[in-house]
Amino acid sequence: MDAVVKFTNQSQGRDRVFRATQYACALSIYLLQKKSSERKDLVAKLKSLEATMSAGRKLFRLGNTLNSIEAAKRTMQLSDPVLCLCLTVANINRALYFICDNVLWARSVGLIRDIDKEHWSLNASRCYFFSLVMNLSRDVYEIIQLMVQKARKGHFRQKMDQHLSENPEVAEVVIPQLDAFLFLLLESLKSHPAVALDTLKNTCDLFIPLDRLGIYKSNAGVVGFCGLISSLIGIVTLAQPKLKIKP
Amino acid sequence: MDSWVRFNSQSQAKERVLRAAQYACTLLGYTLQKGGVAAELHKTVTQLEAHMSLTRKLLRLGNSVEALEAAKRAIHLSDSVLRLCLTISHLNRAMYFACDNVLWAGKTGLISKLDQDKWSQRSFRYYLFALILNLTRDVYELRLLIECEERYRASKSPPSAYPGNNGPADHLSSPSSPASPAAVALPVMSAWLRRRVHLVATVLYSNPPLLLDLLKNSCDIFIPLDRLGIYPTGKGFVGACGLASSVLSILTIVHPWLKLKP
Repeated sequence: MDAVVKFTNQSQGRDRVFRATQYACALSIYLLQKKSSERKDLVAKLKSLEATMSAGRKLFRLGNTLNSIEAAKRTMQLSDPVLCLCLTVANINRALYFICDNVLWARSVGLIRDIDKEHWSLNASRCYFFSLVMNLSRDVYEIIQLMVQKARKGHFRQKMDQHLSENPEVAEVVIPQLDAFLFLLLESLKSHPAVALDTLKNTCDLFIPLDRLGIYKSNAGVVGFCGLISSLIGIVTLAQPKLKIKP
Repeated sequence: MDSWVRFNSQSQAKERVLRAAQYACTLLGYTLQKGGVAAELHKTVTQLEAHMSLTRKLLRLGNSVEALEAAKRAIHLSDSVLRLCLTISHLNRAMYFACDNVLWAGKTGLISKLDQDKWSQRSFRYYLFALILNLTRDVYELRLLIECEERYRASKSPPSAYPGNNGPADHLSSPSSPASPAAVALPVMSAWLRRRVHLVATVLYSNPPLLLDLLKNSCDIFIPLDRLGIYPTGKGFVGACGLASSVLSILTIVHPWLKLKP
């Protein structure tokens, strides 16, 4: 099992690049269609490229269910109960998402014929949505812990007092507590870029299933843009392992 | 550039699994066709094969750079034959991947009006040259190892009392007895041949990386030979060879000590 997981981990880098390309295509198609309806051949080429990337990625993801199950097994052994719960449920939902995705792939190549594509697609989006919600809960928990830790530190209080007493006449400082909270939040995020990047990535990713499930309908442009941003963040965390949130 | 190569090599494993699956589909399609099953099942298998082929082309998009980097590294090898074979082989591979990328762009519609047959033939020609050079390298390595083994065997066993029994020059020396040369030459030839085959088998058995690489390249060479029409063997044989070579290369990825170096 361990060998299989190591094996399938090896193509994560490429998958992120293809995802970025796929969402860049989606965004470009939306912008081109908005601007003018003339460049039809370019739009057709971009659509074809997006479809190729999407189909290719579904094939690459065929082994990822095992990956997620192994990750769930690992996160079950975490000591912190909140982290354990959030990450394990997130990983289980990801495993379910990959199963739905594999079934959709089998349908698209004709291996399985009589299944309800729309039903399975909605299920996949639902599982993906739940895993993102769990990941965001974990991010919020980590941020709260960081803020609490930081607030307790002596030299941070000095910094805070200095910041609050800096510009008392500025119009923005209407509610000093809000200002203090935001300052604490920003300082915590600045000192832990991994948490900040992960929160941003999950927030951007959230728009994709929200749109698909009809909970918060945006448009193809927003979905493409958010997908592109989250893919770029994913590439950065892969290239710079320091920026990857742990566990 | 270095970080790109590291990045690139991470998806080699999945690409090999897809290759194995693609050639398994080819073999399966041929078997189904021969067995005369429903056209729909055969169509599904053919479509799956085409889908895997296109996806593999997508996965190979950055491999030209990796092949060029490998060629750059191969230029610094000390052995001149290895240097020549490997550098030119990697350059041919880089050209093969470049043609393959163009084919991918044509198949996905990015480049319209592409002569797919012409570019396909081009890519297979480069692939064939690369494989021939790899096989040359394998044969060269095998020869070096055989010479080593012969010298080792000669130093281990002292020279025999009968001068006629010393080494492969046997059949050239005239027999001491007045019996007819043809009657003596044949058993001498077969003994020499047997010894030779035993020597090659020993060398290959004690060098699994070389054996694996030789088998892999020998299986692979039938693919471009068939596609270019030089030695057409048929879909079934090509599928079986492709599957065998993919399985062997998956073995070298899972057990890195089995990979032939450099």
